[in-house]
Amino acid sequence: MIVDAHVFLGSCLFGYGQSIDEILSRMNRLGIDRAVLAPVKPRDYHLGPMNDLVAECVARHPARFMGLCRVDPWQGRAAIAEVRRGFEELGHCGLYLDPWEENFQANDDIVVPLLEETRRYGRPVVVNAGHVRVSHPTQIWDLARRFPDVSLVACNGGQINICGMLLSETRRMLEACPNVSIETAGTYREDFLEEIITEVGEERVLFASGSPVYDQEFEMARVRLAHLTESQKAQVWSANALSVFGVPTGTG
Amino acid sequence: MIIDSHTHVDRVGWYDPPETIIRLMDEAGIDTSIIMTYGEAPDVEGSIEYIAEAVNKYPDRLIGYARMHPGRGLTAHRLFEKAMEEYGFKGLKLHPVGNLCHPAEPETLDMIQLATRYNAPVLFHCGDEELTLPLQVAQAAEACPNATIILGHMGGYFHWKDAIRVADRYPNIALDTSALPYPRAIKEAVGRIGSARVLYASDGPGCDPRIEVHKVRLAGLALEDEDAVFHRSIQAILDRVSVGGDG
Repeated sequence: MIVDAHVFLGSCLFGYGQSIDEILSRMNRLGIDRAVLAPVKPRDYHLGPMNDLVAECVARHPARFMGLCRVDPWQGRAAIAEVRRGFEELGHCGLYLDPWEENFQANDDIVVPLLEETRRYGRPVVVNAGHVRVSHPTQIWDLARRFPDVSLVACNGGQINICGMLLSETRRMLEACPNVSIETAGTYREDFLEEIITEVGEERVLFASGSPVYDQEFEMARVRLAHLTESQKAQVWSANALSVFGVPTGTG
Repeated sequence: MIIDSHTHVDRVGWYDPPETIIRLMDEAGIDTSIIMTYGEAPDVEGSIEYIAEAVNKYPDRLIGYARMHPGRGLTAHRLFEKAMEEYGFKGLKLHPVGNLCHPAEPETLDMIQLATRYNAPVLFHCGDEELTLPLQVAQAAEACPNATIILGHMGGYFHWKDAIRVADRYPNIALDTSALPYPRAIKEAVGRIGSARVLYASDGPGCDPRIEVHKVRLAGLALEDEDAVFHRSIQAILDRVSVGGDG
């Protein structure tokens, strides 16, 4: 089984986007069984309707999709209310925070009430990580140690640096924070993924494409061609995502 | 036929002996790789000799570039000349994050001009970090119009459009495909500047050459362009290297 732990849905303010039909068609072609949908930031900046759209798509295809609730921490109480609505009314399986596109630091105090609210529901938080000024691995680390009982998933392998200067920092973060896992999408250096899986823990890495920011077919190659055992790959392909996000109710 | 334009071997820091890249080349079906160290000569003693020994051990598989610190003046120049003339190296690697030298400051330009005496290409690390941005490396390309400047990683995660833009502006700039995660960027680069200045590269062994090959194939290039990216374009650059020093 293959679960893509991170696929964007909708037409984004920043020029990228895809419809649910495009996502399904490509998943079928590539043999991806399920995906976790994250809303894009739309042209009108309103995330609420995007959370509705994700919920509608999950309801239409419950065996194929799970959905994340996206909020902007700068919206304060309205963001907290949206988290509550996402979990109670829309059935979202986790929270998505994008410090890069919503322009906040991942460990800022404005994030705290959102994590507290998410913790009440026992849901995970996916963070667009690795952006040096807003979601550096040390900022993810700082957030994670303040919420050791919240499962955090760091996108982009936790680091975006084509020099390799953040590889050791991200490993230190993962070793210090057992509640953090990383997505494979866009990760610099496949040997970093192999190292984390074999030396830190095979439960710490989730296959994710980050499509359409990244190319879903190309991102699959990072796992398919990795120097890992079949058992380790099975963890990365699906078991870890199912553990973090829970098995969707529609699978029977 | 595939030539990998950008790989690493070293014995200090990240330990990657030549056997590591040879194994990955065999897995990926790569014929030849250009190798360079992570450390810089002359600061890392013996780094030039380490590359020379690796090439000597695998003469049909490996080609050497000298990674130099341009701030080390004549000592660096003499060592680079030795690498080119005695050891048969084919190019210069510069990593401004490692040496903190701006791509267009006088010491760097002197180093580039020295490489250009041999018609040897100059491969810059070119990503999202200060001193390595495409618009910064392009200043060196403008100052040294006879030099062949290769933008390794073609601008990284966030600056690949700048990389294509400056390659369009300066005909002495080429782009290497290593590590950036976007097949579409390769397609766009070939469409805008042509395949003669786009070079397959992996940045292996950290980045798996098989996956990097797969990325180029996913770009959906015409077969003739794909062939150029995989080997003909870098081969043309290497064929121009003149060890006689009369380039």
